[in-house]
Amino acid sequence: MADEVKVADKTETVESLRKIDDNLRLPSVPEKRVFPKEIDVSAARMQTPAVGQRATRPDGRMHGLGQTKYIDDMFFPGMIHAKIKRAGIAHAKIKSIDVSEAEKMPGVMATLIGSEIPVNSFGPSLQDQPLLADDVVRHAGDGVAAVAAVTEQQALDALEKIKIVYEELPNVFDPVEAMKDDAYKIHNNESNIYASKTIMKGDVEKGFADSDFIFERTFTTQMVEHVPMEPHASIGEWDANGRVTLHSSLGRITLGRADISRTLEMPINRIRIIATVVGGNFGGKNEITTEPIVALLSKKTGRPVKCVFTREDEFISSTTRHPFVMEYKTGMSKEGKIMARKVRLICDGGAYCSWSETTLGKACILSAGPYNIENLHVDAYAVYTTKTMTGAMRGFGAPQVCFAYESHMDDMAAELGIEPLEIRLKNAFNEGSASPTGQVLEAVVVKDSLEMATERFGWKEWRK
Amino acid sequence: MIRRGKGVGCMWYPIGFTVLANPSAATVKVNEDGTATLLTGTVETGQGSLTVLAQIAAEELGVSTDDIHVVSADTDTTPMDTGAIASRTTYVTGNAIKLAAANAKQILFEVAAPLLEVQPNQLEAVDRKIQVQYFPQRCLPIADVALQAQFVMGRPPIGSASYNPPTVGMDPETGQGKPFSTYVYATQCAEVEVDDETGEVDVIYMSAAHDCGTAINPMLVEGQIEGGISMGIGFALQEEMLFDDKGLQLNPNLTNYIMPTSLDMPEIDVDIVENFDPTGPFGAKGVGEPTAVPTAAAICNAIFDAVGVRITSLPATAEKVLRAIKEKNDNDQKILPAAE
Amino acid sequence: MTDVTLIVNGETKTASVPPETTLLKMLREDLNYTGSKLGCDVGDCGACTVLVDGLAVNACLMLAGQAEGKEILTIEGLSTLEKYHPIQKAFEDVAALQCGFCGPGMIMTTKALIDQDEDVTRQNIKDALSGNLCRCTGYTKIIEGVIDAYQEITGKKLPEIKPRAA
Ligand code: FES
Ligand code: FES
Repeated sequence: MADEVKVADKTETVESLRKIDDNLRLPSVPEKRVFPKEIDVSAARMQTPAVGQRATRPDGRMHGLGQTKYIDDMFFPGMIHAKIKRAGIAHAKIKSIDVSEAEKMPGVMATLIGSEIPVNSFGPSLQDQPLLADDVVRHAGDGVAAVAAVTEQQALDALEKIKIVYEELPNVFDPVEAMKDDAYKIHNNESNIYASKTIMKGDVEKGFADSDFIFERTFTTQMVEHVPMEPHASIGEWDANGRVTLHSSLGRITLGRADISRTLEMPINRIRIIATVVGGNFGGKNEITTEPIVALLSKKTGRPVKCVFTREDEFISSTTRHPFVMEYKTGMSKEGKIMARKVRLICDGGAYCSWSETTLGKACILSAGPYNIENLHVDAYAVYTTKTMTGAMRGFGAPQVCFAYESHMDDMAAELGIEPLEIRLKNAFNEGSASPTGQVLEAVVVKDSLEMATERFGWKEWRK
Repeated sequence: MIRRGKGVGCMWYPIGFTVLANPSAATVKVNEDGTATLLTGTVETGQGSLTVLAQIAAEELGVSTDDIHVVSADTDTTPMDTGAIASRTTYVTGNAIKLAAANAKQILFEVAAPLLEVQPNQLEAVDRKIQVQYFPQRCLPIADVALQAQFVMGRPPIGSASYNPPTVGMDPETGQGKPFSTYVYATQCAEVEVDDETGEVDVIYMSAAHDCGTAINPMLVEGQIEGGISMGIGFALQEEMLFDDKGLQLNPNLTNYIMPTSLDMPEIDVDIVENFDPTGPFGAKGVGEPTAVPTAAAICNAIFDAVGVRITSLPATAEKVLRAIKEKNDNDQKILPAAE
Repeated sequence: MTDVTLIVNGETKTASVPPETTLLKMLREDLNYTGSKLGCDVGDCGACTVLVDGLAVNACLMLAGQAEGKEILTIEGLSTLEKYHPIQKAFEDVAALQCGFCGPGMIMTTKALIDQDEDVTRQNIKDALSGNLCRCTGYTKIIEGVIDAYQEITGKKLPEIKPRAA
């Protein structure tokens, strides 16, 4: 054919090249002014003193007008799109990855696999997570390769052509099973327990001996996704000075920059992260995800590269809320005073550590509840399983333990015939109470909040 | 039959991180007309933190919220910040901003002092004026002072500062220590209707009383609480990532992963518990995360009150609640003849 | 590639798009109306809601070709140079939106509801918004914003809910 030209390793027709070129062009319509010339500023924003005012938000105005630019709303000349291939198998050794067929697909400009990333690991406390798995897949949502192509659809099509040979490894889904000595060790460590915390205060055994009643109950919670309405997104642009600019939906840019510097082995002053308003975070956008990948793809192609998670990526490959197994044992006096409490927390960490240590720490301290307990013993463990990793999410373990200690409280109140509000007021922290870690607490208003919420509710007058 | 029940959940929650340092830094530049620009490395994640932080800077400088422009979220231009995580922005970043604004204000005071014939430490910034304490009529507009500072004295009023909450590491054996510098407290109450034939739970009303220290912007605090409650309702009743026996997620989409919609939301009454934390900026602590903490507990306790079954594993889906009710009825029936 | 012509916010726009292009993609990528958001691409979240001939639709579920010749109203078409639209103003005033990602969809759904020109109750509002997911706000302040806008636009009043306790 006369109009056949050779581009890189593949044969393209002039026609398809023209199409590519078309797709690369920016939207041709100039942006129209779509907001009023003048809008009044709310009185609360103009007031002094400023603190305590119901001031409106300038960014809130932009949201309502549709003017806020989230990452996916940004387009740069020549920008191409990256997509990530997910393992689709929970636990396996990667024997080989072959991207050659994908590279021949129309519109594909570059591919990336884990072994091409200078330091292919990250994580806030343990660096146990690869950006793209290159050796072992530890949960089904692990990324294994990335493709950058002219359109998103072309990138998605190319993902189908990536050939990976896996050797299946045993799955460990249950955190209690995973803790056992003979469980398969997901990270080749001595144990799947990768973090543990203890709190000991007073003498629990004596406390139980002095109690009139002992109550025991085990509670469990489920895995929950953050579901930010805006999926994770980033755009990377590598420049001639070897600097990379990343537009990203990241919520922690200072630490994100350090992580990117570590994974790309480049000085921090050559990395710029520009975040915008994050379209919902809740703890889920606190770690780097696609940023080093788009940076490297941009380096390879010399073009800005955008990667936006699909809703499915969001579920299977971003962090989630830790499922907990919580064993509670509490000793009570017959008057309803907590005498002693023993708690064992097992937190299902999923495939990688992420923010589990922090979550475990908070859960451990908070697990006693806002109550004066002189004799306390808490043991807490975070355990690897071959499921989606769990990480920071609004409350860091607190919603889980609060569900347990407050349910437990009502159980005991019912047995002892004490009113739920009463039993809480009896045990709640006062000004100057010592926390489980022995910290003297100030500005304590547990009782005020109990009284206020129940009063508003009409608790005392309430009838079924 | 529809049965009603009430339940309460109470909680405490720390502000900031455990043990590890979690600093924030900020820069405040007072412009020649007395307005100011605030540089912060935090990222707005929807909670309205930039507005709250502007209010803190404005308060310190004695100007209005609208006088402050906030530049954020660019690692090239804004100072380091540990980020929008752990309910720390108002408290930690807010403290850094308050200190930075105080530093800029100090320059204004030093410029204004000779003009007002007092010492800088006798001045205060109120209502867009620099004035002598206890003698508010002896004052200068902040704009005049800022202009003077920049163009006459050659001292641009810029302040930078950082803040890291003081903590004491926890003993690895006993966990004793001071892991956080401050805590907040809250209670939520729920009223539910449980259909004892289907197990369906409907949350019809919730009251919430949250302590966040000083509420810098009560409207935004309310927004946090209402949003937290919706997340708590999802956690309590609906949301769960389900996996098949091969570890593949069965519901990786919003069709089958059920999160709360407008129809799942009860009427909510929000109260802010008055409190002042001397270590926070103008007494403020934080509110983001705690709002999602006690909701599930309150709802499950209300279910217990309504139908007498204790849900020990979340979420309390209709199937689970119905199963628990059936088990309870079976047990009750077994007990009955013996009691007769 | 097929040529599609739409009347977007009163202006005629044409673009040549692959036949599988959704209305949302065409609006966002070919015509640069990025106000409508993509949250799921399968009709679950409502972030992409626009009005097509006055009806609220999920733009991610409609092919661009299906909208040929139709009048599309997007979030960018509400306010004018002279006038801030009352729904957008009400949302700003009560801080209805937090991260804002659901906002354009919420506001377009609200617009369709108020345009129906029928008496509206709180329940109607909740029903209307039930296809628009929001993770941040718990919908409470959004509903407040809708009520304010409804009252402002129609001059009607919704009954106050009686407060629970003093
Ligand atoms: S993007 Fe259209 S409904 Fe979610
Ligand atoms: S404001 Fe964030 S999703 Fe609605």
